Amino acid sequence: MRTSAPERALGLVVLCAILAAVAFLSVTQGSRSIDLPDVLRALGNLGGDQTITSTVTLELRVPRTLLGILAGAALGVAGAILQGVTRNPLADAGIMGINAGAAACVVFAVTVLGIRGIGVYVWFAFAGAAAATVLVYSIASMGREGATPVKLALSGAAVTAGLLSVTSAIIMTDVDALNELRFWQVGSLAGRYAPILTGVAPFLLLGLLLSLGCGRALNGLALGEDVARGLGQRVGLTRAAAFALVALLAGAATAACGPIVFIGLVVPHLARFLCGPDYRWILPYSMLLAPVVLLLADVIGRVAGAPGELQVGVVLAVLCAPVFVGIVRYARLTEA
Amino acid sequence: MHTWRSILAVATVGVLLAGCGGGTDEPDTPAAAGPWSFKSGNGETVTAEKTPTRIIAHAGEAAALMSFGIRPVGIYADEPVKTDANLKNLDLAGITILGEEWGKIDVEKAASLAPDLIVGDWWPVEKAYSGLEEGVDEKSKKLTELAPIVGVTQGESIADLAEGYEALAKSLGAKVDDPKIAENKQRYEKAVAAFKAATAAKPNLTAAGMSPTDEKVYVANPRYAPELLDFQRWGLKVMNPATPDADFPYWETLSWENADKYQPDLILWDGRAYKDTLNAEFGRKQPTWFEVKAAKAGAVVSWPAYWLHTYGDFATELEKLTTAINGADENIGS
Repeated sequence: MRTSAPERALGLVVLCAILAAVAFLSVTQGSRSIDLPDVLRALGNLGGDQTITSTVTLELRVPRTLLGILAGAALGVAGAILQGVTRNPLADAGIMGINAGAAACVVFAVTVLGIRGIGVYVWFAFAGAAAATVLVYSIASMGREGATPVKLALSGAAVTAGLLSVTSAIIMTDVDALNELRFWQVGSLAGRYAPILTGVAPFLLLGLLLSLGCGRALNGLALGEDVARGLGQRVGLTRAAAFALVALLAGAATAACGPIVFIGLVVPHLARFLCGPDYRWILPYSMLLAPVVLLLADVIGRVAGAPGELQVGVVLAVLCAPVFVGIVRYARLTEA
Repeated sequence: MHTWRSILAVATVGVLLAGCGGGTDEPDTPAAAGPWSFKSGNGETVTAEKTPTRIIAHAGEAAALMSFGIRPVGIYADEPVKTDANLKNLDLAGITILGEEWGKIDVEKAASLAPDLIVGDWWPVEKAYSGLEEGVDEKSKKLTELAPIVGVTQGESIADLAEGYEALAKSLGAKVDDPKIAENKQRYEKAVAAFKAATAAKPNLTAAGMSPTDEKVYVANPRYAPELLDFQRWGLKVMNPATPDADFPYWETLSWENADKYQPDLILWDGRAYKDTLNAEFGRKQPTWFEVKAAKAGAVVSWPAYWLHTYGDFATELEKLTTAINGADENIGS
C-alpha cells in the first residue's frame, strides 16, 4: 500500500481511536454482564461504595485492560524490532528463547523453591527471560562475525530446545509443577490485577518509549549489514541494543501474561501492510495494532466463554492462525 | 510345594517388617482356602480354585484392603506413594511399588511378583479399572494378563465403596469382625450418625464444593463426586451447579468476575489444595473472592475430594466436617 506521510499520521490517529473503542469494550464487556450505567457509575465514583459491580469493573477489568494495552504494545513492538534486526520475517520473541527461559524459571520456582502464585511467577519469568536472552546472544556472539541473524536464530533454537527439555523432564515427574505451568503457559490476562500491572508497567513503558527511537537504525539494518555499515552505523552495537530492548519488552510482557503467541509475529506484518516498509512508522503502528488485537481476542474469550472464560492465548491462536497462513500464502505482504 | 513355601515366607517377612515399622499391628494375612469367587464392579463374577493371596492393588484400593488386614504384594499408584492421600500414612515396608504416576505400571516387575489377583476400582463411565483407563500406556494394560482383576464400582458413594471393599476383603479371608479391624467401621458409623445429627439441626445449611485458583473458580458437581453425594444423602444441602462444563462435567468453571454466582453457607474446599491460610490469601489477592459471603466469614472446611476408600479415613474426614457444620451459620449465604 502506497501511503504518504500525512496519510500514515492519520492512520495512527484512527488506530488510537480504535484502541480507545476496544479498551472501552474491554471494560464494559466480560463474563459477568454488568449494565453500562453501572459500569459508568463505578468509573465515575472511584472512592464510592464497594459493590460487586464496582469491584469487578475497577479491580478486575480496568487493570486487565491496561495490562492488555501495555503487554500487547510491547509484544507487537518487540516482534517488529526482532524482525527488523534479524531480517527474518518469522522472528518473534519465542525464537530468542524468552518463552522457554521464562517457563524454565517458573518451573524452578515451583519445584525447587516451592513458590506458588502468579504474583511471584512474574519476577521469576522476567529473570528467566532475561537470562535466556543473554545466553542466546552470547552464544551467537562467539566467533569472528559476531551475532549475525543466522547465528542468532540457531543459538535461539538451541537454547530453547535445551531449556524446554529440562522443563519437560521436571514437569513429567512433578504433577504440581505441571498443573501450575499448564495455566501459565497458555498466556492469559485473567487473574492479573493491580499489583502485577504496577509491577511490570515501568519496564513496559520504558521499553516502549525507547523503542520509538530505533526506527532509523532498523531502516539501516533492513538494507543489509554492509550498507548499514557504509551508512556509518555501528551494526554490532545497534543489534545488541535492540536485543536488550526486546528482552525488556517481551520479557516483562511474558512475565505478566505468560507466553502469548502470534501477536509479535503477525502484527508487524499487518503494520507493514498498512504503512509500508519504514520502521519509523512500523513501530508506532505495531504499538497500536497489537493491543487492539490482544484486547479484542481477550474480550471475545471472556464473552464467549461465560460464565467461565477462554484464555486469550487460545483465542489468539484460533484467530491468528488463518492470518498467518494468509501471510505465508501471499508473501508480498511480508516483503512490501 | 517349593513356591508355596516361599510365598508364605515372603508373606511372613512382610508382616514382620510391618510390625517393626509403624507399629500399626496388621493382623496376619490369612492362609489360603478355596474355592473363591467375587462379583466385580463390572458385573462379572471372578472365580478361582484357591483364595488369592498375592494381590496387586491400586493405591486407594490397597489402603482399603490393608485396613482389613489384607496386605498386597504390590501397589501401583497415580502419584508418589509419599504424597498419595490414601497411602502416605501407611507402612508400605515389604510391598513392591509398581508405579507412581498415572498410566505407568511396571508390568515386568509386577509379573515377577507372581500375583494371583489384581484389585482396582471399576469406573462405570470409563468402563475400565483404575490405572487401565483409556489413555494409559499400552504396556500398563498388560497387567490384566497376569491375573484376574476385580474391583468395587466407583462413582455414587464412598459408603458403598468402603462396604464393597469390606466384602472383598472378607472373601479374601479377612477377619472383619476382629475388634481392631471393626473399630474403624464403628468409628465411621458413629461419625455418620453425628454428621446426620449436625445436618438435621441445621436444615437450611447449604454447602458447595469449591476450588479457587489463580485464574478461575471451580464449583464441584456432586453428581461426579461420590463423597458429596453421600453428604447430600446424609442431609447436607450440597449445591448442584447449574451449568457444569460440557467437556468436563466434574466442575462448573466460573471466571473471577462471576465468583459470587453461588452463595453457600459453608465452602467445602478441595482438600487436595486446602491449607488453613488459603482462604485469607485468596481474599487478599482476588478482589472478588470475599464477595462469596461464606469465604468472607471464613466458613471454609477441607473436603476430601475424590480419594476416600476406607472407613477410617472417611470417619476422620466426617468428624472434621461435622465440627464445621456445628459451627456454621445457616444464614451467611442468604
